Amino acid sequence: MQNPYIPYPVVVDKIITEVDTKDIKTFRFKFVNPEDEQKYAYIPGQFGELSIFGKGESPIGIASSPTQKGYVEFTVQKAGVVTTALHEMEEGEVMGIRGPLGNSWPLEFLEGKNIVIVGGGFAFTTLRSLINYAIHEDNRKRFGNITVIYGARNPGLLLYKDELIEWGKRTDLNLNVTVDKGDATWKGREGFVPTVCKEVAPSKENAVAVICGPPIMIRFTLPVFFELGFSKENIITSLEMRMKCGIGKCGRCNVGSKYVCKDGPVFSLAELDKLTPEY
Amino acid sequence: MEKRLIKKDALAGIAKKMAGDLLVWAPVKREDNVLFDTLGKTDEPFFAYLNSKNAPKNVFFPHTETLMKYTHTAKGMVFSSEVNKADQSVLFGVRPCDAHSFALLDKLFDQEKYQDGYYISKRQNNTVIALACVKPPYASCFCTSVDGEPVGSEGADILLTDIGGDYLVEFVTTKGEKLAPYFGDSKVDAAADAKKSEIAVKAKEAITSKIPAHEVKPILDKNFDNPFWNTIHGKCLACGTCTYLCPTCHCFDISDEVKGSDGIRLRSWDSCMFPLFTKETSGHNPRSSQKERWRQRTMHKFKYYVDMFNAIACVGCGRCVMSCPVNLDIRKVVEDISKL
Repeated sequence: MQNPYIPYPVVVDKIITEVDTKDIKTFRFKFVNPEDEQKYAYIPGQFGELSIFGKGESPIGIASSPTQKGYVEFTVQKAGVVTTALHEMEEGEVMGIRGPLGNSWPLEFLEGKNIVIVGGGFAFTTLRSLINYAIHEDNRKRFGNITVIYGARNPGLLLYKDELIEWGKRTDLNLNVTVDKGDATWKGREGFVPTVCKEVAPSKENAVAVICGPPIMIRFTLPVFFELGFSKENIITSLEMRMKCGIGKCGRCNVGSKYVCKDGPVFSLAELDKLTPEY
Repeated sequence: MEKRLIKKDALAGIAKKMAGDLLVWAPVKREDNVLFDTLGKTDEPFFAYLNSKNAPKNVFFPHTETLMKYTHTAKGMVFSSEVNKADQSVLFGVRPCDAHSFALLDKLFDQEKYQDGYYISKRQNNTVIALACVKPPYASCFCTSVDGEPVGSEGADILLTDIGGDYLVEFVTTKGEKLAPYFGDSKVDAAADAKKSEIAVKAKEAITSKIPAHEVKPILDKNFDNPFWNTIHGKCLACGTCTYLCPTCHCFDISDEVKGSDGIRLRSWDSCMFPLFTKETSGHNPRSSQKERWRQRTMHKFKYYVDMFNAIACVGCGRCVMSCPVNLDIRKVVEDISKL
């Protein structure tokens, strides 16, 4: 049996600087032992522990989709000891990843439904995984309409810029990108995510909203969806906690009787209502 | 299961004989304390002890344990798992409350998904010999309130009960029975059994400190936001002594240590009573004050563990009560909750 504390060795295959401020990068990892890729079979919404020897580990959502074969991607903001060390790494270096950990976006529940994906800022990473999964030719028919509302503070802080352009060309995806404030070259939409949600006004019929963003965005976005008639069962989000072991033992991410690392990080609002408000 | 009788003064000899063949952890005097330690050739086990200062959980879940080793080589980073097969060992003479704690820790570390090999290998290769409390060691003992018994064998493989001049040796599991040859061949008569039963009843009655541990579960279910939680933590120093000594506390940290081109990844005991325990890189701390941390510790023991595993995560040893530097008393907290 795989020891859940031991990471798989990976090579940093590609580093993409995502934002103007250069503090958010996407890291593409390839497995040193090709057979490990099979063992790392993941579902959008899961996370991994990025493991840098001598520095420690950091829990990060998986940004690639399982439909993207041959590698795994994580988009990471430079913040603490581990992520700073990660940002200093170069292509070709070897580190480790553990996982996949946690539950996932509820794909079976989403099947046959219209999906409204709302993301804000840097919290768009596992939503990107879900989008790429859902629009893949093998999966697109399993889901109804897909509406994406994605916002950042300014154009330079939008992640996955090339993909946004590609997604914008698709007829089977309703993409709405917004920035709080544009710049001289920005021709797109301006406005906060909650306002754009109100304008786009996705129908609640057979629909599930998957929302991920900074607390302030969540706070103002939820009322919009309640007004549109979405039930708490049909609003899904993902929690962040300090997670060390990732397998429900070390005791950091307890929220009531649940461990965010093992029972989450994905919860519906109805499920969150049953948890103690300690996250 | 088999039973034996041994002379009281034969116990230390048996432990030492066993220590010649196996790794034996036994109560030994270390400076001013009695602690469980591996029994060396010159060590004398001390079975007339009340209870050990520390809970013996470190036998299966050491203070600090290497999870993996890694080294930088010309070809890059090489790392290896560190779950070596544990030596056959014996934990000789633990109190029934501490033996009970192993049954509780098993629920967490030995779950179907995510098995913790480090804990499990040590636990599986160890035989637990419990030494019954014919008299309550301390006035603060409250095992009978939390599903324990002073003459109980939960979590143990062998139970030793002092029935006067002899110890009654009861082999509780087949694992325990394998050690039967160490305990001679004197048969047990009905009188010894009767004597033990009588002692067990008396020992139970002698535990006078009681807490309404089961009664508080439905109250805790509904009182996460009760202002009561503001009233406990005022004098708490966040020293973590309670969680350090607790037989069931199991929170840990994972950290790296580097020496030259080599390094190890360790896990070490951590505590939910420490302010930094849950603090995130962003600065956000879900348990931002000692109030939340006390609530977490109390809830984890008397509600969350019950929700998860249908068992209270407290064995009533009273170590946290005796060693708290500011006399915070979990018994009082539980008592007060029962009145909410």
